[in-house]
Amino acid sequence: MMERLFLSALVALVGLLGVMIAGFGREAGYVLHGWIIVGFSLVALKRLLDTWSDTDENTPLEYNDAVIRFGVLATFVWGLIGFVVGAVVAWQLAIPSLNGDMSWSNFGRLRPVHTTGVVFGFGGNALIATSFYVVQRTSRARLVGRTMPWLIVLYYNLFVTLAATGYLLGITQGREYAEPEWYADLILLLIWVAYLVTFLLTLARRAEPHIYVANWYYLAFIVVIAMLHIVNNLAVPVSIAVPKSYSLFAGVQDAMTQWWYGHNAVGFLLTAGFLGMLYYFLPKAAGRPIYSYRMSIIGFWGITFLYLWAGSHHLHYTALPEWVQVLGMTMSVVLLVPSWASVFNGILTLNGAWDKVRTDPAVRFMMVAILFYGLSTFEGSFMSIKPVNALSHYTDWTVGHVHAGALGWVAFITFGSMYKLVPWIWKREGIYSLRLEALHFWLALSGTLIYVGAMWNSGITQSLMWQTYDDQGNFIYSFLDSVEAMKPYYWARAIGGLLYLIGACIGAYNIAMTIRGPRLTTGQAVATPAE
Amino acid sequence: MQVEKDDISGQQTTGHEWDGIKELNTPVPKSVIWVYALSIVFTLAVWLLYPSVPFGPDYFRGLIGTTSRETILEQVETAQATRAAFGQELVDRDLYALAADADVRARHEAAAAVLFNDNCAACHGTDLKGQMNFPNLLDDAWLFSDDPEQIELILRYGINAAHDETQYSIMPAFGHDGILERAAIRDATEYVLFLSGADHDRDAAARGAEVYASECADCHGENGQGNGIGAPNLTDGFWLYGGDRDAIYDSLNKGRAGVMPFWEGRLSDAEIRKLVLYLQWSRANGKDGD
Repeated sequence: MMERLFLSALVALVGLLGVMIAGFGREAGYVLHGWIIVGFSLVALKRLLDTWSDTDENTPLEYNDAVIRFGVLATFVWGLIGFVVGAVVAWQLAIPSLNGDMSWSNFGRLRPVHTTGVVFGFGGNALIATSFYVVQRTSRARLVGRTMPWLIVLYYNLFVTLAATGYLLGITQGREYAEPEWYADLILLLIWVAYLVTFLLTLARRAEPHIYVANWYYLAFIVVIAMLHIVNNLAVPVSIAVPKSYSLFAGVQDAMTQWWYGHNAVGFLLTAGFLGMLYYFLPKAAGRPIYSYRMSIIGFWGITFLYLWAGSHHLHYTALPEWVQVLGMTMSVVLLVPSWASVFNGILTLNGAWDKVRTDPAVRFMMVAILFYGLSTFEGSFMSIKPVNALSHYTDWTVGHVHAGALGWVAFITFGSMYKLVPWIWKREGIYSLRLEALHFWLALSGTLIYVGAMWNSGITQSLMWQTYDDQGNFIYSFLDSVEAMKPYYWARAIGGLLYLIGACIGAYNIAMTIRGPRLTTGQAVATPAE
Repeated sequence: MQVEKDDISGQQTTGHEWDGIKELNTPVPKSVIWVYALSIVFTLAVWLLYPSVPFGPDYFRGLIGTTSRETILEQVETAQATRAAFGQELVDRDLYALAADADVRARHEAAAAVLFNDNCAACHGTDLKGQMNFPNLLDDAWLFSDDPEQIELILRYGINAAHDETQYSIMPAFGHDGILERAAIRDATEYVLFLSGADHDRDAAARGAEVYASECADCHGENGQGNGIGAPNLTDGFWLYGGDRDAIYDSLNKGRAGVMPFWEGRLSDAEIRKLVLYLQWSRANGKDGD
């Protein structure tokens, strides 16, 4: 009853917001957003009415996997969109005239479509889908709510749609990774609270005495993202008629709030959430126990405590007071040890199952994911040290660092997990083609190495060219010289990105063929929840 | 809850199990604890040495007592002093003498090229040949004088720039501002084509001659040779904004007021001179720009 009341209010509120935007809006793109919100709300309403009389009592006792299947499909759709746009902007940097000389297709508007597509579309959907799977299996409890999980996934994808289309239409509040305007932020806020409640209530009715590590991480991800999202998006909308809003913060406080958000979006969405994924799918795929429960504890609490302090290292040598910079730097350095505790815990879990790295491409994906996590988390701590940051900041090294983490860690662990998850939730014998899976792995790995290697080289080249003086104190190189020098690296990056994209397309095809393939026929027992 | 022994690692499990996943109770390696402790000691040391802990409206300054802001300001000051010392001769000496001195060129040309590429090349090109709407600096067409001291004034104060001393070069918008009828502008366009030696409509050009005499000749001169203080020569075949019929019509209709920014205050006196000399040196390399 509570659920139906809450969901009715949610659908009514969001639907009303859409109608008001469509009705009062004075800009074409904004009105279009109003209609998109109305459209999603109608689908949500239909779902709500279809399942109106469903209760736990009158539905069969089984895990709710249908919503996870939807989330997995959304992961791949957004992943492909994000990778394609990423490849396009990479080629634009190599060949600038590819921007087409149109407002919507220039680098500045396409780049956030890429970041949103991969971070929130691909990464976010993968986290929501796997978190629903993991929390059910490791709690032996089905998801709380029959309709709520559906609306969470549906409205989450509404948020991603508004974000991704907003950039092209010129709607943005100009905060990196938090570009969507107030109305999209409000929708995300509502469903994120619903997500937290669903996750907590499911945990609360678990049949296991303890909460599994993976769920700690998923929970930390949900709680911290809620906190970050609210604080960083505190803004005053100008009017219902326009998308524009003004931040509650100004000046350096605004910058600090933004990078407290930005850094912890990396820390809790792209790290904690995916560690949750790792802690379930790796031991499951390897068939080995977690190496050390105690290391799990050190890793979890270290990361959870320290990450929240580290955001100021994005603002070294700026107007930010120096003591804040120093605090951020030191917390980032200490962060290395708990991060690497997770790395060792993952790698050593493979002890006794190393043959699977050779025979099972999904395990290979996960193993390499851990290595890239270790690499990029070391690199992150290193780059946060002020003198190193003086070299790396504002260069392509940052871009290389982010992509070592995003391509090598986040996407690798997702692909590895998806190759396991898809046959499980669609009840298939196994993946359609192990050879294609292996091909995907090698394409993704070579793409990542080329990409990251190119950006390391270009970043350090840029920095050295910018800081080289003659004995009279004059620059040896002009900025234009450094732009010219980037050409080979930008070509290499675009080629690396293209390889990665081709790999992802093969992966998506493999997943699609698995889903279209025959159902599991052998009389294996289907796992059921305890309650 | 069943604690088991794992054969491969020899460790015991914690006794928990979730969906078939177990955990070993392996102790945390001593090395991990040591490195963790070390990183915390490092942190405390850094806090002690540098600005770190806030209290109230103030913060602890650190035992070293310096900030990266102070350090960088010192470095900038030193670098500026070095640069000023090396550039002093450019300010002290006569510009014509500097331009003729091969040693000055050897000392300053490399840095001047970087200075030009960082500040001027976006419009004038790294080859100094300009682009549509931005003048070629190597050709022989000058809106103002080609005298180095006059060029220095343009660099310093700009053209149509937001500086009190700036020089103006404004082509009125005869059509847009309603000074002339469209037909008169079309006629004048033909006359300008005639002046420049291009194909034109004779009748229209004849009518345009009257328009030209009353509206244009004051600045561009009776025969279209320009006035050397901002109004271009229309007969020399050099066109800043294009010399075809449409472009000339556009210039007459909407006017032109291209801006050269002023650099006084943004570049030092020595740097401005360095750029003036760079222009002379580059022109000396090849008068026609090749």
